[in-house]
Amino acid sequence: MAVIEARGLVKAVGTGRAARRVLSGVNLSVDAGEVVAVLGRSGSGKSTLLHLLGGLDPPDEGEITIAGERLTGARARAQDRIRLGHIGFVFQQFQLIDELSGRENVLVPTRLPGAPAGGVRRAEALIDELGLRAVAAHRPHELSGGEQQRFAIARALVNDPEVILADEPTGSLDAANGATVLELLAHMTGRAVLLVTHEPEAAAIADRVLTLEDGELVGAGAGAQRR
Amino acid sequence: MSATPGGGSRGRRRRFGDALRMLARSPRRALFTAAGVLLAAAMLSAAVVITDGLGGGFARASARADLGDLIIRFDPESARTVAAKLAALPDVSGFALRSEITSVGVRFGAHRSGTAVAEVLGPGRRQGFAVVAGHRLPAGGAPDVLVETAWAQAWGIAIGDELDVRGLGPERVVGYAEGPDDVGYPLGAPRFYLTRAQLVARFGIPTVGPVNFAEVWLRDPRLVDEVLVQARDESYGLRGLKFSTRAGVQVLISQAAGLVIDLLVALSVIALVTAAVMLGAAARAEVQRRLRSIGIRRALGAGRWALAAGQGLEVALVAVPAATVGTLAGFLATHGASGRLLSLLNEPAPGAGLILPLLGSWALSVAVPVLGAAWPAWRVTRGPVIGLLRGTDVATSRPRFPWPARGGGGLTGLGVRLVAARPARLVATVAMLASSTAFILLMIALAGTLSSLETDPQELGKRYELTAAAPAAAAARIARLPGVAAAEPRYELTAVDAYELGELVDVVAYPRQLSRFEAPPLAAGRRPHGADQAEVGVGLADALGLAPGSALLLELPSGRQLDLRVSGTVNSLAYEGLVAYLPAAVLLRADPAAPEQIAVLLAPRASTATVSAEMRRIGFPPTLTAGAVARGAPLVAVLTTILRAVAVLDGLVCLYALLQACALTVQERRSTVAVLRACGASPGAIARLLSGAVVTLIAPAAALGVLAEAWLLGPALARLAAGYASLDLAPTRVDVLAVLAGLALAGAIAVWAVTRRALAEPVLAGLAR
Ligand SMILES: Nc1ncnc2c1ncn2[C@@H]1O[C@H](COP(=O)(O)OP(=O)(O)O)[C@@H](O)[C@H]1O
Ligand SMILES: [Mg+2]
Repeated sequence: MAVIEARGLVKAVGTGRAARRVLSGVNLSVDAGEVVAVLGRSGSGKSTLLHLLGGLDPPDEGEITIAGERLTGARARAQDRIRLGHIGFVFQQFQLIDELSGRENVLVPTRLPGAPAGGVRRAEALIDELGLRAVAAHRPHELSGGEQQRFAIARALVNDPEVILADEPTGSLDAANGATVLELLAHMTGRAVLLVTHEPEAAAIADRVLTLEDGELVGAGAGAQRR
Repeated sequence: MSATPGGGSRGRRRRFGDALRMLARSPRRALFTAAGVLLAAAMLSAAVVITDGLGGGFARASARADLGDLIIRFDPESARTVAAKLAALPDVSGFALRSEITSVGVRFGAHRSGTAVAEVLGPGRRQGFAVVAGHRLPAGGAPDVLVETAWAQAWGIAIGDELDVRGLGPERVVGYAEGPDDVGYPLGAPRFYLTRAQLVARFGIPTVGPVNFAEVWLRDPRLVDEVLVQARDESYGLRGLKFSTRAGVQVLISQAAGLVIDLLVALSVIALVTAAVMLGAAARAEVQRRLRSIGIRRALGAGRWALAAGQGLEVALVAVPAATVGTLAGFLATHGASGRLLSLLNEPAPGAGLILPLLGSWALSVAVPVLGAAWPAWRVTRGPVIGLLRGTDVATSRPRFPWPARGGGGLTGLGVRLVAARPARLVATVAMLASSTAFILLMIALAGTLSSLETDPQELGKRYELTAAAPAAAAARIARLPGVAAAEPRYELTAVDAYELGELVDVVAYPRQLSRFEAPPLAAGRRPHGADQAEVGVGLADALGLAPGSALLLELPSGRQLDLRVSGTVNSLAYEGLVAYLPAAVLLRADPAAPEQIAVLLAPRASTATVSAEMRRIGFPPTLTAGAVARGAPLVAVLTTILRAVAVLDGLVCLYALLQACALTVQERRSTVAVLRACGASPGAIARLLSGAVVTLIAPAAALGVLAEAWLLGPALARLAAGYASLDLAPTRVDVLAVLAGLALAGAIAVWAVTRRALAEPVLAGLAR
């Protein structure tokens, strides 16, 4: 069943004469348990697409459904709730909160009002699973890039979302740490993972590879390159 | 300037345009800056007005009035004798003699008073008071007088009007006078001045007669202490001597004003520092945001000075009008009241002398924020240009929570940590909020105490609510009325201390239940027991050197003497504490005709109106018991106006500080807020985060403020209050709760407003790096 469902997404950036269509009619459907990589040159609109799918930015046209809930047209609070319960973000810059330890960063989404129950238990399990127990009390500036990104991934997973949206998750990491992170993303059983990258190696772990070119997803045919 | 590309007037004009454009791009930021500068400027100028007015008032007044260095009061004595004694003193450059006559009856229109003071002047131009309007008294025998300004204002006496003086008939008012050695009406008695020459011409009395007042000028005022010693030695033969020096009067006045002034100055300085810290932080965040553009301009050859000046100019464009409005607002809020206060104290308003200090406070309110804004740009451009282009962090010290991370990553806790990550700002904001809390609490306590003195007889130890002019025999009938708990005759008369014949003593007596009707707090000793015992006010005890066990001999108007023993001293505000309470039997034995009335104590929850109606019905119309400072009401009103104006300003500065602290936290940590929102944080979650931040600021401030008032400010002010009474300047629990609620409300407003503002920003704007 498709957990991410996007139809006819159009997005322009800039205003006036500088306005430019970054996405011009993107269709995308990702099933649970599927890892999809989106490749594209820098500036091709990959991040923009991810932001639309995560409800961080509204599309100019088109519809998005996440885990069966309409994202487009929903009220801001409903969008917040969808992000809280169904979506986990992983960013290139990790975006950990400086004042909190690694463990506390993982716990943040479980403390938001409306978060699903059992968050603390899942957080501790994830910290163990991702091999972060020894550094759980460290602050972000005391952690290596690879450790930071693993904490960020644990944070994305802590509310047990159906969808993981990862924007260049290995972009700030060396090869070895990058490989570890990709390994983790490749083995997220039962979740839909959308991995945006401009590094072809990252695509190797994907079940399906799409390319964003001139505002359109190429190779996005239904079930193309299915494993 | 030489390093600036396109220097000269063209470059300057362009920079001006740049700064304007930048402002127009972020109007909200400009508005916030303006609000901060405006409030700090208002606070500062209010402090300047009050400090300059009160602090310099006496100096101005005594200079204008040419007040003598030494003022001597004594029992009436021939002017020739006194003049001879004064002439014998060393270093005297001149003196003026007059006769001060008290309890003069005066009438003007519907106003009348029996307690006016007539100053009958001897010859000489130098008199120690200032004629502030109209002209001086003519040398001849015309029926002309000068009246004191504060009195004239209170009664609406114009120059040219006629004042009816008992024994003299109509006197023409030819001018207004102010003598700074005494306070004006209604704080003091109504005072007017006339020449002895007038009385000589009209009544044929001798040109030289008795005087009881001398004002002495010295060649070298620094020698006043030596002269004072000499004067005491030379003054044999003069009775009832009382010396005061100009310096002594000044100390008395400046001491009272001192605490208020210190408080205001401290408060306004803290307000300014807070505003500067906030504006500096905002400027730093702004510079951080523009790092790359600054780097590019730097790479193109823009000088450090020019870049810093550009930032400063941007704030100056806002600060100049804001500081102008703020300075004017602070001035307007306090000027009128401060002027009225000064006129009550017989002191002139500073007038044009205020312009320079106000300009100074205006300049400070502009300079501090401008420098605060220019500094981060100056600092950031210190390093190599390439660092700027890469967008290296300005602050090498990234904000971090200084203590070990512990706990569960809750939102409130995170808010606490975000605020604690900026210790300097935290301390400045908490200090600001704490001192404001203490100040507002003090003012509420002060206003409460003052107005209860005015209306609540209990403050004076009077517990009865009503009195009626009725014979003692009527007490039993009145006591039986519904709503009356007790009624007893109350005897009151004025006696004189029989040893010195100097002090007037108010004598109050009840047949049985003195402490039930009238019980000012006991300061020492115990309540009177036995036939010859009396309790006396602390004022009287001080004046006559009495202590429990001392003997007190009073002379009654009837000529009989009262031989008493002091059982205890009490804190009574009535009659400046010159009061003795004793059993009625003792008083009636000495003076069976002592004036009596009936004091009526109401039953709990009985209404004065109902009981009054009952008493009128049986023929004894009552009056409400009045407080002692009814005459001080205008002073209370003026003080309250001043304090209230400052309190309102102060409250606004608090709100601003909280808003700005929250806004800065969100601005600096916008990526944190954005991450939270990307994780699905609702508006409520962001509000919770900010609540943590606000509580970190408010909670210690509230605690510190309440403690500071209770342990420092309150006791300090109470100590300064008149020594004959104890003023309890502790705010009630309700006051404390109200102030804390106000603080919480300000915090809630800050959380609400900043949450709204944070949510208005797209999540992506915060995530972008
Ligand atoms: N807020 C914005 N305003 C103007 N242009 C933008 C904005 N955000 C992104 N862009 C432009 O949109 C295009 C796509 O950006 P992005 O989705 O970040 O590309 P990618 O992630 O593929 O590198 C780029 O040309 C970028 O410059
Ligand atoms: Mg991108």
